[in-house]
Amino acid sequence: MVEPAIALFGGAYENASQVLEELLRESGARYALLLDRKGFVLAHKEALWAPRPPALDSLATLIAGNAAATQALAKMLGESRFNELLHQGATHGLYAEEVGELALLVVIFDNSAPVGRVKLFGKRAVQALEVITRDSVVQPGTLGIDHEYRDGASALLDELFGN
Amino acid sequence: MSTINFAAREINFKIVYYGPGMSGKTTNLKWVFQQVPQNRKGEMVSLATEDERTLFFDFLPVDLGEVKGFKTRFHLYTVPGQVFYNASRKLILRGVDGLVFVADSAPNRLRANAESMRNLRENLAEYGIKAEDIPIVLQANKRDTPDALPVEMIQAVIDPEMRLPIFEAVATTGVGVFETLKAVSRQVLSRVAAAS
Repeated sequence: MVEPAIALFGGAYENASQVLEELLRESGARYALLLDRKGFVLAHKEALWAPRPPALDSLATLIAGNAAATQALAKMLGESRFNELLHQGATHGLYAEEVGELALLVVIFDNSAPVGRVKLFGKRAVQALEVITRDSVVQPGTLGIDHEYRDGASALLDELFGN
Repeated sequence: MSTINFAAREINFKIVYYGPGMSGKTTNLKWVFQQVPQNRKGEMVSLATEDERTLFFDFLPVDLGEVKGFKTRFHLYTVPGQVFYNASRKLILRGVDGLVFVADSAPNRLRANAESMRNLRENLAEYGIKAEDIPIVLQANKRDTPDALPVEMIQAVIDPEMRLPIFEAVATTGVGVFETLKAVSRQVLSRVAAAS
């Protein structure tokens, strides 16, 4: 495919996780996620006191779709981009911010965390994550998925969907 | 482009169901959702209008299992088929690894099939992707329609060079649904393996 991907592993993953953890501690938010623009979760952290989060796959997909729609709207209005997304309900809020061209930071918080603080520390986290993700971009064909993997996955397709 | 999460040891692929409005894209996903065991699927998310037309997309994550230590997942999406939802349709194609084109076998939908395929080519081009460069599997759905067109006639308008594999289906009863999904998944896996 034409689009490059972000592959976080080793030190880069550790660093990204640390940034997310720091963000949770400083902002008082519940969950922090780093997603790619296609809606896949690259890294996530939960505050120890927070209840179990909703399904991360669904969350990531909806936020990536929402962010993509927001960028399309920005372009229609002649803006190069809208930088952030903020949704606030009676008790919960969601803040999403672009991390370079390929990723998104998502922070989910409740009304014990002031939105100003979430945004302030969110923007600070974005700066750090931008460097980490920029260094973790891999071009297609370098991901190391080989024929052995293909054959194994193919056998599982038969197992799940029948012969 | 597939996404590898080395930390979580996950490999994710994105498969998009494309095709004209009412051709059965969501029905395909619903069948998969009904049949796949609970521990091998996530929540199905549907962003639909009140009359159950897809407004933005449907989404269903399916866990294939573990291969060489990597959890392998397919994320299945549908696009809204109605012509006027093109802006949303285009967004869903971002990062797609493989496509299922669901065609309607009814005679009065032949033109809609052709237009949807043309629209797919145009939207892929906006991401710099040629239709020839990405795994695409065709599905002639609604084969139980009394006056269903011959499969060859449907393929002639959406794939005149007869290059793509085509599967007959009745998605409401599951006929052909898994065969189609397996075929596109295999193509995606082969393509990624060949690139390495």
